[in-house]
Amino acid sequence: MTSFSALTNAAAALAAQSYGMQITGQNIANADTEGYTRERVNEVATGPVPGVVTLYATSSKTAGTVNALGASRLNDPLIDARARTQEGLSGYADTAATTMSDIETNFNEPSDTGLTEQLNSYWKDWSAVANNPSDSAARSALLQQANTVTDTLHSTSSALSQLETDTQAGLASSVSQINTLAGQVGQLNAQIAVDQATGHDNPSLSDQRDLLLSKLATLGGAQSQLQPDGTATVTMGGLTLVAGATASTVAVNGSNLLTVGGTAVTLSSGQAQAQSQALTTTLPGFQASLDAVASKLASDVNSLHTSGYDLNGNPGGAFFSGATAATISVAITDPTAVAASATPSASGNLDNGLATQLAALGTSTTGADAAYRTLVANVGSASQRATEQSTVQDSVTASAKSLQASSSGVSYDDEVTNLLTFQRAYQASSRVLTTVDDMLDTLINRTGRVGL
Amino acid sequence: MTVLRVTEANAASGSLAGLQAAASRLSALQTQLSSGRKITKPSDDPVGTVAALALRGQLQRSNQYQANASSGIGWLSQVDSTLSSVQTQAQQVRTLILQGSNTGANDASSRNALADSVDQLRQSMLALANTTYEGRPIFGGTTAGSAAFDSSGAYVGDTGSIVRTVGANDDVQINQTGTAVFGPNGGNLFDLLTTVSSDLRTNPSGLSGDLASLDAAMSNLSAQQGQAGSVYQRVQLVQTNASKTSLQLTTELSGLQDVDVADMAIQVSSANLTYQASLQTTANIRQTSLLDYLK
Repeated sequence: MTSFSALTNAAAALAAQSYGMQITGQNIANADTEGYTRERVNEVATGPVPGVVTLYATSSKTAGTVNALGASRLNDPLIDARARTQEGLSGYADTAATTMSDIETNFNEPSDTGLTEQLNSYWKDWSAVANNPSDSAARSALLQQANTVTDTLHSTSSALSQLETDTQAGLASSVSQINTLAGQVGQLNAQIAVDQATGHDNPSLSDQRDLLLSKLATLGGAQSQLQPDGTATVTMGGLTLVAGATASTVAVNGSNLLTVGGTAVTLSSGQAQAQSQALTTTLPGFQASLDAVASKLASDVNSLHTSGYDLNGNPGGAFFSGATAATISVAITDPTAVAASATPSASGNLDNGLATQLAALGTSTTGADAAYRTLVANVGSASQRATEQSTVQDSVTASAKSLQASSSGVSYDDEVTNLLTFQRAYQASSRVLTTVDDMLDTLINRTGRVGL
Repeated sequence: MTVLRVTEANAASGSLAGLQAAASRLSALQTQLSSGRKITKPSDDPVGTVAALALRGQLQRSNQYQANASSGIGWLSQVDSTLSSVQTQAQQVRTLILQGSNTGANDASSRNALADSVDQLRQSMLALANTTYEGRPIFGGTTAGSAAFDSSGAYVGDTGSIVRTVGANDDVQINQTGTAVFGPNGGNLFDLLTTVSSDLRTNPSGLSGDLASLDAAMSNLSAQQGQAGSVYQRVQLVQTNASKTSLQLTTELSGLQDVDVADMAIQVSSANLTYQASLQTTANIRQTSLLDYLK
């Protein structure tokens, strides 16, 4: 320890405090930056190294002073991982809820224009024919209404198909984003590993990577784990997506299932999984139920209609053709070909037995109306469940994200307090410097000059 | 418990989440209030939706039953008034037969005059028997033709029955065939009147037998009219019930799917208040920091 070493100490302290102020400034500047994790200066006290003349020391570490050993990110990896898991679940729940809500909109129930009312009118029109079988206006109105029913079935079915096409496009876009993100994580991993090995930590790279990991979680339900070398290993459903610098490819197979590196994978979170599930089960399921309604309508009406006789006494033909919601259509165009009579007659009669039976089909508890009501109930409850799940999940996610923001986010009060601390320390160190300088001045310039 | 650090990020996102929740609740309530419907989509209340759909079906059917019953009542009224007219005219024939029997065997010109009147009444009753409702002969069964009896008085209709559905599984037959009302071909009322006419002209001794036959035919007409009357009453009763049912279903449906405006208005204003309070709080809460106090 020499007199000069005190000067060096003070200079090192000044450097450390100004570095602290620089990091504090960086924190304040990035308070609103997405994915930014607050940083802290790593200050260490270094003791004097005996026997080394400080003035000539090659390193400031030889003095008993403070040193800023870079800055470190103040994040909690556990909280980060938890937030990512919840983001994945939110991505899944939100997309599932949106899909269900889109499906629900297409059914337009309960309303005065939905299929339920169309069917009600159709059965009523059969009653009108029964009340006056010879009235061609009633017969034409029946055929018109039957066409309205089939049109409504067509449009609902095609809306579901359109939704399927849109979801397919959405899934493709999610998958391509996942692949892009995975590639970027790989590149950042490589960079971070090099930085860490050479001791040049760059916290902003880690920030960028964590942001990508969180997007990967939302989109693909990806889990990630930090490795000792600083890289993050990302997995999807147990299969490795990114390890070190290498990223596998996510794709969609022919049955709309997600694959990682060619192997099909089933997940419980992530937007892509919700889209895949909509394509594999939800949409085909509702489409099939709608087809069942159309098929039931056609078969019930046809089996009665072909047992009767039309206005001219000819046996009734099929009323509806086609057996799916997309293909069902009214097979009759001539109003007189509507069979209302249940009894044969050479030149036709005005019996209304068949029309009465057909009108009564609307009350059937196993008919198309009941099947459609069940379908609407299923759509409604599925949509309600999905929305509730998404609301609950969003609040869980918000709380996890809030915890994450609380641990790694910037607080102005904190930073300003730190700034004050560094400022005071800087002022104190300057005072030390001035004082030592003063002392040396006394020693050098005034020693031995007593009485002069 | 550790004190949670409040940072710029979580304070902002917390406030925003609260704002959005309040705004979304307000918007949902406003949708309900402006549409007047509690259930605007199935997921609002899946159970209520299915109940509403089922009620709509019941309501439409109940309305249709009323329409069917009205159509049946129209038909049955026509039957009733026609049969009354036929009865009156049959009564006139009866009087003519009695006059013919009392006139004595020699007054052929008077009996011819009576016979002419009977022929007139026969034509008139034949026309009544061919009365149509909505273009259909009411005693013709399900015939597609325009008449129940031809000019010779032979039945040309069929035996088909005409029904009106006036309730679930409640089909009421509203027609009576010409043979049931006027008697079988060869022995029907018009054949009898032809016999009466010729007996008046040529065979007065047969008139007493004709009188007995006419009485039998008239009693059948009464019975048929009585039957039509009882069906009429039944259909009318069902119609009254169906109209009550419709009213009840409309009330139920409204209770299920329509909003209680007063209640909803209070809810909307409460949600509005919450939203404004969130806005106010968000605007005020993070206005200050330590920076404001350091000089």
